[in-house]
Amino acid sequence: MTATAEKTDQTGGQDSPKAGVVPSFTVTLKISRFDPETDSEQHWETYEVTAHATDRVLDALHQIKWDQDGSLSFRRSCAHGVCGSDAMRINGKNRLACKTLIKDVNPDKPITVEPIKGLPVEKDLIVDMEPFFDAYREVMPFLITEGNEPTRERIQSQADRDRFDDTTKCILCAACTTSCPVFWNDGQYFGPAAIVNAHRFIFDSRDDGGTQRLEILNDKEGVWRCRTTFNCTDACPRGIEVTKAIQEVKRALLTSRF
Amino acid sequence: MTDLERHDYDVIVIGAGGAGLRAAIEAREQGLRTAIICKSLFGKAHTVMAEGGIAASMGNANEKDNWQTHFRDTMRGGKFLNNPRMAELHAKEAPMRVWELETYGALFDRTPDGRISQRNFGGHEYPRLAHVGDRTGLELIRTLQQKIVSLQQEDHRETGDYESRLRVFAELTVTDILKADGAVAGAFGYWRESGRFVLFSAPAVILATGGIGKSFKVTSNSWEYTGDGHALALRAGASLVNMEFIQFHPTGMVWPPSVKGILVTESVRGDGGVLRNSEGKRFMFDYVPDVFRGQYADTEEEADRWYKDPENNKRPPELLPRDEVARAINNEVKEGRSSPHGGVFLDVSTRLPAEEIRRRLPSMHHQFKELADVDITAEPMEVGPTCHYVMGGVEVDADTAATSVPGLYAAGEVAGGMHGSNRLGGNSLSDLLVFGRRAGVGASEYIAALGDSRPAIQDADVDRAAEVALAPFRDASENPYSLHQELQQKMNDLVGIIRREGEVREALDMLDDLDERAKSVGVEGHRQFNPGWHLALDLRNMLAVCRCVALAALERTESRGGHTREDFPGMDPEWRGVNLICTLDGSDAVQLRRQPVPEIRQDLLELFERTELSKYLTAPELARLDAGGSSTQQGSADGSDRS
Repeated sequence: MTATAEKTDQTGGQDSPKAGVVPSFTVTLKISRFDPETDSEQHWETYEVTAHATDRVLDALHQIKWDQDGSLSFRRSCAHGVCGSDAMRINGKNRLACKTLIKDVNPDKPITVEPIKGLPVEKDLIVDMEPFFDAYREVMPFLITEGNEPTRERIQSQADRDRFDDTTKCILCAACTTSCPVFWNDGQYFGPAAIVNAHRFIFDSRDDGGTQRLEILNDKEGVWRCRTTFNCTDACPRGIEVTKAIQEVKRALLTSRF
Repeated sequence: MTDLERHDYDVIVIGAGGAGLRAAIEAREQGLRTAIICKSLFGKAHTVMAEGGIAASMGNANEKDNWQTHFRDTMRGGKFLNNPRMAELHAKEAPMRVWELETYGALFDRTPDGRISQRNFGGHEYPRLAHVGDRTGLELIRTLQQKIVSLQQEDHRETGDYESRLRVFAELTVTDILKADGAVAGAFGYWRESGRFVLFSAPAVILATGGIGKSFKVTSNSWEYTGDGHALALRAGASLVNMEFIQFHPTGMVWPPSVKGILVTESVRGDGGVLRNSEGKRFMFDYVPDVFRGQYADTEEEADRWYKDPENNKRPPELLPRDEVARAINNEVKEGRSSPHGGVFLDVSTRLPAEEIRRRLPSMHHQFKELADVDITAEPMEVGPTCHYVMGGVEVDADTAATSVPGLYAAGEVAGGMHGSNRLGGNSLSDLLVFGRRAGVGASEYIAALGDSRPAIQDADVDRAAEVALAPFRDASENPYSLHQELQQKMNDLVGIIRREGEVREALDMLDDLDERAKSVGVEGHRQFNPGWHLALDLRNMLAVCRCVALAALERTESRGGHTREDFPGMDPEWRGVNLICTLDGSDAVQLRRQPVPEIRQDLLELFERTELSKYLTAPELARLDAGGSSTQQGSADGSDRS
């Protein structure tokens, strides 16, 4: 039973018998907890909440925090998939808690919620994001230009602008990087997100820093570590074709064309 | 205090949204050592949620556009209660700020000849919003974040230290501004991760903390919006102006419940989406107020022609300013013509081909599909008003963003005056850039004038700030989450979109009660990432801000922009000249007083037709205008600095 059942025709639907009724059910969440004050390692705790068919995992986490255990810690800001604060591992897959409907992750079994993998856990579902942002900063994620600044805007055709549109959708949530097996095994690897953010400038017709960035990504911890497992593309909550972007950077390195 | 982390800066910017980052960039460019403090991770600020675009009269889509037209639209939207100097500076400088953002590397949609494309939006006479799809806010934040990374790398090349001039303190909350001899001396806060206290010495603080939406139950705002900057300013001795003006965005999702409040961007209406009630009627034609008659279409046929030919047709009434649309929806619902879940229908599915909708409104299509399982290309959305923006805020000087407290500045949503009683869509992102930059300049000039005589923080003040911050760790029974939920519900019900004297008085009694109970809020656990403790401290801010909102809403006995009094439904020209100012007295109680609105300069008044002015101004004001505005002009000399 989902929200679709409640939908009404466009001119009204006052007669819809189920209007306003959202079916509810009990769902079990198994959450990885860690308190650096008292715990030496992570452990599971189980919570039961009453959820509605249209609730997201974030709503369930809030319910637990507000009504059952005020100490449960997780990040969230905008709560609709734009800020990228609440990436977590839900049933073994990286997702944003605010964009994951409970009904879509099989609420019949306990839903596991863990912090994203490969970054140090600070508390409960919160990880230290600094290593992630370090890699981001290393690829020089800013426009590099030569010559004089224009008085108005730089001219860019819609086609040139569309060339890198996909990689500008990144919200730096780390879902891709922390789904990458290479990154799990080698924290030195730049990771998909950093490459995505380099891509956005390498393929920007206004940018003159492409060669520098490609040199950085040609490093032994750079793009060549990618094993094309497509985990990153699957994990991206923005639908960015991450693996394709990485392939384009590899190709640019081989052909020096970008 | 011994276990206190200490830092020394020239400027502290509190808040890392558009205004905070632009202010910090400016301060660093002016050579100041600058700290940026934010409650969230860096780059996650609420600005990312802005979808429509940045309003700036660049004239790329219609070369007739200019700053005067933008100024006029802004004043009309604000119902002439705007600080006119702010509206003027904003209209003049917005194009430069957008071009500058483009040179920083921002992505924009382009015109066929490669210039920045501009789109239509409610209340703007010409297509004026520079945008990238419907993720303009995200791109703005990302671009400013990238600019900061580039400045840090520049500093590294020069000094060997990335953070020598510009450092970001993420996930840190400031609880108090500290002063010495009446001037800013620094700020006190805690790391959210460790709970450890941090003391910043700095002669200048720029508040850029955004709004207050989390005081209301139905809101589009993210969790950070707890009125921190408003409350910090109050406690530091600054004043808040016109807190009664709160914008309820007309089209928030009302269904399903888990996403209640989340915004449906105005571009849906700009691109052809229409509002219908349960009878299928396109009802906005019934709600064009007299002041806007003549600018909006009278028939569906004319309105529909406007999308293709805006030159020769009047705009559809769906694009009236937000307050008008919100009130209209509220009225339809009240009169029993609502959609099944208490909103109205916003339909774009019958207006544009599915492919076109997906191309023009990709994020909206995505948002509804993913968060709510609704396909907007196939069916209408159910929408209703949601608390979106506070026009009121810290009273500042238009040119420098300075508050009445030496060393304290405010920019962006936390500052008041710019938008008058109602903000136009698109004017927020431009506001952030224009006044963020001005605050950075203002703080730099202040520090230059200070020389070496910087105020020194008093130990006793630090001890007191620590004591207040630790107070929730007492053996007490009130749960901060329940208290917060109660506050949100009551503010929504009693001081929401439609206000009545009796209910606002009830709200004030409720606030007395909550203030009392807040004294016995207790939290469990330790100081490490303790969300209950964080909320307990944020609650103090929300309670102070809500009281200002309620007091001002009670005082203003008229309806204007984001303040609707059911018992005083009309707009009263006498009230147009009145700002409502809130301050704290010696015992931390909120005091409210009236203050004249800065007068509008003669040359700015002359941008309007007299018939239009006669809808807003009092008879004596009009008489002065007709007499050549001698006394009006005189008033403006000091008037422009008053608010």
